[in-house]
Amino acid sequence: MAQNQRPRSILESLGEEIIRIITPVSICMFMVVILVSVLNSNSSSSSSASVNSIATIAYTETSSDSSWDKFLGALLNSLVFVAVVTVVTFILVLLFYLRCTKFLKLYMGFSAFVVLGFMGGEIALFLIEDFSIPIDCITFMVVLFNFAVVGVLAVFMSKMAILVTQGYLVIIGMLVAYWFTLLPEWTTWVLLVALALYDLAAVLLPVGPLRLLVELAISRDEDIPALVYEARPVTYNDTGSMGGVAQRRVWRGRREENLNDDSNSNANGVFVDNVDSESDSLSNASAVLDSNSDSNTLDNATLVRAEEARVPERDAELSAPLIDHRMNIQPQQQEDAVSSESLMLEGIGLGSSGAIKLGLGDFIFYSVLVGRAAMYDFMTVYACYLAIIAGLGVTLMLLALYQKALPALPVSIALGVLFYLLTRFLLEVFVVECSLNLLMF
Amino acid sequence: MTVAAGIGYALLTLGPSLSLFASVISKKPFLILTVLSSTLLWLISLIVLAGVWRGFLPLKSTSWWPYGLLIFSSVAFQEGLRVLFWKVYKRLEDILDAFADKVSKPHLFLTDKMQIALAGGLGHGVAHAVFFCLSLLTPAFGPATFFVDRCSRIPFFLVSAIISLAFVTIHTFSMVIAFNGYAEGNKVDQLFVPVVHLVAGMATLVNFASGGCMISIPLLYLIAILTLIHCGKMVWRRLIENRGEIGSSQ
Repeated sequence: MAQNQRPRSILESLGEEIIRIITPVSICMFMVVILVSVLNSNSSSSSSASVNSIATIAYTETSSDSSWDKFLGALLNSLVFVAVVTVVTFILVLLFYLRCTKFLKLYMGFSAFVVLGFMGGEIALFLIEDFSIPIDCITFMVVLFNFAVVGVLAVFMSKMAILVTQGYLVIIGMLVAYWFTLLPEWTTWVLLVALALYDLAAVLLPVGPLRLLVELAISRDEDIPALVYEARPVTYNDTGSMGGVAQRRVWRGRREENLNDDSNSNANGVFVDNVDSESDSLSNASAVLDSNSDSNTLDNATLVRAEEARVPERDAELSAPLIDHRMNIQPQQQEDAVSSESLMLEGIGLGSSGAIKLGLGDFIFYSVLVGRAAMYDFMTVYACYLAIIAGLGVTLMLLALYQKALPALPVSIALGVLFYLLTRFLLEVFVVECSLNLLMF
Repeated sequence: MTVAAGIGYALLTLGPSLSLFASVISKKPFLILTVLSSTLLWLISLIVLAGVWRGFLPLKSTSWWPYGLLIFSSVAFQEGLRVLFWKVYKRLEDILDAFADKVSKPHLFLTDKMQIALAGGLGHGVAHAVFFCLSLLTPAFGPATFFVDRCSRIPFFLVSAIISLAFVTIHTFSMVIAFNGYAEGNKVDQLFVPVVHLVAGMATLVNFASGGCMISIPLLYLIAILTLIHCGKMVWRRLIENRGEIGSSQ
């Protein structure tokens, strides 16, 4: 009577895409928290005084100013920063409009190299100092150079193993986020809020630079050259069906009326869960299955290679479903003496294979928030982590609902800042009081 | 305390949860999302309670009845929130069943529902452990350790970790009992959970007496074991009934 072949319930694989985007975000936040707590265990004021950047050009915070002065100074800093970012984004839109894609790609490669090489190198130096790791200059230079070069290649050549690419993107996010946490406290918080508001405006207003960029890219069917994290698409084998047919699950996109050339691109994925390929009653999923027919009998690992091999000839197709690549672009300033720019994306969209794409800017600012919370106490870290993940979940739900470009920063940053304040001023006193008296419930 | 001791205390309180997570929850992405949302919900409950009681803290530590009131109100609020959680879960179950129909898969099995309840309870337990125990550990790394007057034989962190472990167990399995009670309309189960929670909370009041932790900790573990046994019996009964139903309907 025992059922050997119980049909699989939906609980087996529901929500997998969300987990695949939450995991790297969590890893990035975790690593930034570790870095912050390891490197800042001595006084933080000494290190923050040495960071001179665009973000502190208007006002340098000293601990002797009053709260109101600090707030005004931070506001000034943030306004300057947001203004610079806006100008740079408009320049980016202009360059994209003039089809200087080559230049943009080169510039992105250069900025990734700078981040990995110089920022990564400086952080490695901090770590070496703190832990007295015995390593000589030449080995260090060789290792660092190789690390940076492989990183640049991983991010821009799609022939790399997807895990390496994703790993390097997370590392880039982590490095930039750590540098942002070195800013003074008030400046960091006001900057986060200002950037969240800017993101909201830039993506949703008709005159916003990011919206212009996305619309340009869509109208031209081109890929925006930027740093974006793409979660691996969900595909699994149903062992019950014959031949190990791989089923695909992609997010649903409403069919756009003005699409006429994407019949076999995965532009409009359908949120289906095909039990059998035979019983596939959803005809519009057949387009998806067709283009992936050669991957049907492969498992995950080989699917990755198959996808990579198909990339060259599917370049046009990959760029075509930009209909679903709704992304926002936000060039970020690096906290360097050389204030070079790097082009990183923010915002959430759907990838060509239906996987969720999250801009690297989002990784960075989530991690900045959590890193800053770590500088106060770990209770705030846990609270802010949960708030950010909740915000990300809400944004993903809105993405599934509205099917258009959405800024990923505002909801998460708002919840994160709110929970930070609530935890710091309310929860901590309460919990410490209860705990010290060994009262728990 | 040293890093090794700190990690030891953290594993003491979260070890069983971690193994539960690794073996049951991590295999199904939906359950991971349930754990995260449940943890968030209980964090919000703690923040609301902290907001309400903030004006009264720090309480005078001489008399115990303000603390009793604090615990009573907190437990009452959390149990009310549990009912709300159940209602949200019911709606979610309907949505999931509708979705299952759309993709021609079977509705949620009984084991699925119990796993979701377990994930919800694990979220509650993890929230308790993280905020009451772990968050005090991490700032305290260093050469010395800390003892409380009232329980001066073992370090404060160890006491806190042990108590947290009991509470994690109670919370995790109470949720399974509660959801089951609401689903079946079983009054015994529905009352069991709030009563157990209240008794456990009040048991920690015993810690006010000097040396009180000698009594309260075994008491708490007794309650935890009671919860475990009750949950085990209930789950076993339901699974047997379910298998009987499936067998008879085939």
